[in-house]
Amino acid sequence: MEALITFALNFIYSSATLALIVLGLAMVFGLLGVMNMAHGEFVMLGAYSAYVVQSLGLNFIWAVPISILVCVIVGWFMEWSIIRHLYKRPFDTLLATWGVAILIRKGVEVIFSRDYKSVNQVMPGTVDLFGITYPSYRLVLVAIILCLFTVLFLWYQKSKTGLRIKAMVQNPELASAVGIDTARLSTATFIIGVSFAGLAGVLLAPLVRVEPYIGLDYLLSSFFILIVGGLGTLEGLLIGSAVIGGSDALISTIFDKTAGYLSVLLISILFLWLRPNGIFSRH
Amino acid sequence: MAFSLVINIVIFAILIAIPFLTNSYSAYQLGLYLLYGMVGQGIALCWGKGGFLPLGQALFFGIGAYISGKLLQGDIGWGIVLLVLLLSIIVPATIAALVGLLVFDRQIGSGPYFSLITLALSLLGYQLANSQVWLTGGFNGLTGISGLPGIDSYGNLYFFIVGALLLSTVFLVYLIRTPFGQMLEAIRENEERVQFLGIHTSWVKAVAFAISGAVAGLAGAFFAPHQGIVTPQVVGFILSAELVIWTAVGGRFGFIGPVIGAVAIGFLASGLRDSFAYWEVVVALVFVLVVLRMPGGLSGMSLSFFKRFFPNIFSREQAPRSKIIPAKQSILKPSLIFENVSVNIGPVSVLNELSFSIKSSGIHCLIGPNGAGKTSALNALTGKLSFNKGEIFWSDNSLKGVRPFRTPKIGIGRKLQVPSIFPNLSIRQNIDIALWVNRLRLNEFFSMSPYSWDLKLLDELQSSFLFLREDQELAGNLSVGQRQMLDFTMTVLAEPDLILLDEPCAGLSKGETEEMIEAISKLALSSGATFIIVEHDMQVVELLSEHVFVMHQGKMLAEGSLEEIRANKEVRAIYAGGSK
Repeated sequence: MEALITFALNFIYSSATLALIVLGLAMVFGLLGVMNMAHGEFVMLGAYSAYVVQSLGLNFIWAVPISILVCVIVGWFMEWSIIRHLYKRPFDTLLATWGVAILIRKGVEVIFSRDYKSVNQVMPGTVDLFGITYPSYRLVLVAIILCLFTVLFLWYQKSKTGLRIKAMVQNPELASAVGIDTARLSTATFIIGVSFAGLAGVLLAPLVRVEPYIGLDYLLSSFFILIVGGLGTLEGLLIGSAVIGGSDALISTIFDKTAGYLSVLLISILFLWLRPNGIFSRH
Repeated sequence: MAFSLVINIVIFAILIAIPFLTNSYSAYQLGLYLLYGMVGQGIALCWGKGGFLPLGQALFFGIGAYISGKLLQGDIGWGIVLLVLLLSIIVPATIAALVGLLVFDRQIGSGPYFSLITLALSLLGYQLANSQVWLTGGFNGLTGISGLPGIDSYGNLYFFIVGALLLSTVFLVYLIRTPFGQMLEAIRENEERVQFLGIHTSWVKAVAFAISGAVAGLAGAFFAPHQGIVTPQVVGFILSAELVIWTAVGGRFGFIGPVIGAVAIGFLASGLRDSFAYWEVVVALVFVLVVLRMPGGLSGMSLSFFKRFFPNIFSREQAPRSKIIPAKQSILKPSLIFENVSVNIGPVSVLNELSFSIKSSGIHCLIGPNGAGKTSALNALTGKLSFNKGEIFWSDNSLKGVRPFRTPKIGIGRKLQVPSIFPNLSIRQNIDIALWVNRLRLNEFFSMSPYSWDLKLLDELQSSFLFLREDQELAGNLSVGQRQMLDFTMTVLAEPDLILLDEPCAGLSKGETEEMIEAISKLALSSGATFIIVEHDMQVVELLSEHVFVMHQGKMLAEGSLEEIRANKEVRAIYAGGSK
């Protein structure tokens, strides 16, 4: 029983963090049509921001604004120098962002070396929940992510910017004809998307080994979730996170990490084959 | 052709001479880079020719290396070497084919899905290589690999590597000139069009991917005896990424470019990697610049340099069309039935219980205001749009859930609304592909004989549209009107029984429209086929049509002769802007 509850909590926690990362990727891919292969690298930048903040002796909370600042600058530069010129050429954005991903990885490697960095626990305590003790930081993290999702969802539904984004996605020419600055809106969407990744990186930093290559795993998990959940709906995104996060956690616990990875990869390939538009497609 | 042959001969002559010109260590290093270059050739086949990018190609290289490393431990004879070569080609090719078939089946175009799946596979391979210690030796890898019997890994093994490279180069250059290769290039240009011509494109792509896996596996088989150790790095994503970079920088549109890229960056890296900390950052930067600014890479640059000064050296001789293939003997008795076909896209009802039937051959026009559902009706008929209610039958075949590439097999040919051709292929290549699609037997995909095919109908079309005789001209250089004509030609070359033409005269000048109308009516007379033409230009309808259908709001509003339609009050109401 206790093992089951621990598993359930771990499952909720890992799905929630994955959902946060995939949200950014889904925004950029779904709204702009850009598969940002460097998305995981923004998670990595966020984690390194947390590491730098701690090495400087600052309070951990500073990592949040600093990581967002880093992601905004890098994301803006990336959008301005590369992505903006390739909006009509999706295959080239795949290549270019892949190049940028390598560039960011190698850049970080030069600055921080390839060694693992560890970020100290900010909230080392535990709480008793349903008869088990569980790290409180993980619970707080889940709560933060749920709040973020709610706020973002409401904002997208109710705000004028949300409306403008929807207009841009449906018909970019018409949107710009009625006075919506689509170029700026695309830039903003891209920057917000990568900032979510950076934020996720900060939140995850105390729980993982920070090294230049961690982004790749997050990119692939997010991508698997997109395949399973399909593009365009929040439910799909959450269910995708649950399916991928859950299978990975379950199979990894029963067998080993490699088996877990193998299972999500197979699920994704089967989805691409049998349900190419995700779980909600009415195909 | 002769010129590129000369270049290749010179390059391989230099490669053979190198061990005699430099020290043996340089030749040893070069051997490794040549192996990487071979893997790059496979990437070029997928990426440059097929338009889909494998990001995890090291997986296949690594599988070859592990097979070879495992089997070459201890006492070995040439029998085992043969087994190694066979397995290291077959195993990666099988894996690649399977993955390709599953992933390509429902994904059209270049999309990110295939690339990311291959990347994930390479990560999986890396994890397996690390964790399955009993098989792979785990983190420390396979060691104690003896070289090939009687071959010195630091000496004459090099010549075997050059031999393998020569083999893969010759094979790939041949492959890309076969109908299979042309089909692959056409898929890169416009996959949907190839499907409507009747090719199950995912098979072509999967075979190409399998071949790239085989080439990578063969290179890996040489890696193990060459290096004497196989560690998980050989299947990893870092090598995979480097392979893509070398291919891009060297040039992905040919098969020598990737080798040049691997060798050039390989030697630069071995000199600079340790002394210059930013080396890999610079390489990544160069890759991004190549993607953005010079997609042809180094070899593309030098080719355009040569072309500027010697414009004619690359022109290929065309095989004469000497073998006339017989025209189709019998034509299907037309029987097309739409029964209450409904399609909803979101809240919008695109087709609303559409019912009509066509039982006579000749030209039928489908008209109606914008948004009436004319193109959607054709989409439902050819499997581009799946309908949830109703039924469509074409000569007793139900078309419910049919996939686009199946429709040409049952005699349906389609020209899309926007002229769909293969812009970076020559007119001759465009025509050849259309001529081949429904006629190639499996072995003919890989033979040169279909180049000599000719069809009487082709001659007739070429005399209707004279520009079609300009074999070498790139289809992308044609005017809109000419593209429509080429597209029409490609559609009818398969000799379909039911020909669907979506606005064949859109964008045509008055003179061109006349030419097109003449060609269509000529073909209707000579072939006995059934035509459905979607058209807005009433003049065209008047000249061509024996029978007119009018659609409105997803339904069939009226049908009959043009006079009857003109007299119809409802039709007049919707065209005059009145409401119904």
